[in-house]
Amino acid sequence: MAKLRLDRIKPLVALGAFLLAWWTIPTTVKSFLKASFSEFQAPAWVATSYLDDLENFWARRSHSKVELIEAGREVARAKSLYQFNSQRNETLENEIQRLEAILNLPSRREFRYEVARVVRRDLNAWWQQIVIRKGKDFDIPVGAAVVFSGGVVGRVVEVGAFTSRIELVTSPNFRMAANFEGDERPVVYQGLPQSGFGDPLGAVRDAPKDVIASTQIPLKLVSTRLGGTFPPGLMIGRVSWLEPGNTGIFQAGEVELDTRLLSLHEVAVLIPLYPIDLQDDVP
Amino acid sequence: MFLDPRSILLFGANALLLYLTMLINSALVGWSIYLLILGPMLVFPALYLRHKSYFICTLLTGLWVDAALPSGFGLFTSGFLFAGAFIFQMRIRFRAEHNYHPIFLAHGVNIFCILLVTLGMGTAYINSLAFWMQVFVTSLASHLALLIVAPWFFNFERMLFVLCRLDSEPEDLPFR
Repeated sequence: MAKLRLDRIKPLVALGAFLLAWWTIPTTVKSFLKASFSEFQAPAWVATSYLDDLENFWARRSHSKVELIEAGREVARAKSLYQFNSQRNETLENEIQRLEAILNLPSRREFRYEVARVVRRDLNAWWQQIVIRKGKDFDIPVGAAVVFSGGVVGRVVEVGAFTSRIELVTSPNFRMAANFEGDERPVVYQGLPQSGFGDPLGAVRDAPKDVIASTQIPLKLVSTRLGGTFPPGLMIGRVSWLEPGNTGIFQAGEVELDTRLLSLHEVAVLIPLYPIDLQDDVP
Repeated sequence: MFLDPRSILLFGANALLLYLTMLINSALVGWSIYLLILGPMLVFPALYLRHKSYFICTLLTGLWVDAALPSGFGLFTSGFLFAGAFIFQMRIRFRAEHNYHPIFLAHGVNIFCILLVTLGMGTAYINSLAFWMQVFVTSLASHLALLIVAPWFFNFERMLFVLCRLDSEPEDLPFR
């Protein structure tokens, strides 16, 4: 009879023993376990991404020569435009450097752009993250800014050997310093829980009282150099209205984010050329 | 034998289910639909295997899911072992050779997983209507998908047993 009772509570005893062990084992062991299991899964996602690329390659192979020639012409046009813009950009950069040297301004943070394919998208009520196909093999650091052609994408939160996880700008866990275009005063941007219906949204708060936004003339919310993660001027979203916040001193409102955030295929990670020195680096 | 070979097959099937679900989620992201289909992973290990094999299979599955999803590490491992212990204790009441009871259990465990992740990750947004709306849509979509996925998955697991020439009957059946 006693044996029977022991058999019946065996699952509960095992569960209790596991919970006790889980609470007592050091965090390093848990981190090692997590990293091991994650790295074990990563090749499957990387392989899927490469297969996806191969599928796209074969899909493009089916295009006719006329279509390819037309596409080549468009690329050549875009290339010449970008070459011109690159030259202009170089001239302006030199001018800025000259002026900064005259005014003895502190040096700005410089970034290296690492373009990466998105291999997985995990967007739901509980988390808003994507996984990219580059990790420690490309020196991606935790906390690095991630951008795309439409502006800010998010921040790197976890780096594996071959993949990295990015917290999207839509996530409620994402927060950054920002400012309205043409107004240097800082405001706070934070992601919001997404309803899943309509365009992605964020929230802006601590906006000065004299800032006015309307649906006719929405304000552009851009990144600022405060915090040191993002270069200034990157688009975050548009603000169509502002209302007094909880404190009554500042204003708050919703930020309309780029809908392309939900279907990203390629992003760029901004890797600081000189890592942040918390002792000396003042943003 | 220390470990029932079926536990390795079941773990492999669970890893495959998770991979396929995440692949679908990645493709459905533009539609704002997310599927959380974790319920079927627990059912067969708890109904078919002896305790040691069930425990190892469920533990590995939990760690696998925890590593794949951005939830707190250990959330699903603990949750799976908790739900698994519950099913294991009552497994004599369920008939695993047909799909009716396993599907019923899969839905129950899936609701438990949704509640678990909501409590584990969403307490900060508990006042947000948008959050609850998306949780509702996710739950609805997941359980609708589960109506198709669960029978397929259980038949797939049974087929694996047959293909690998392993025992396709659960342990602890009254007539064994």
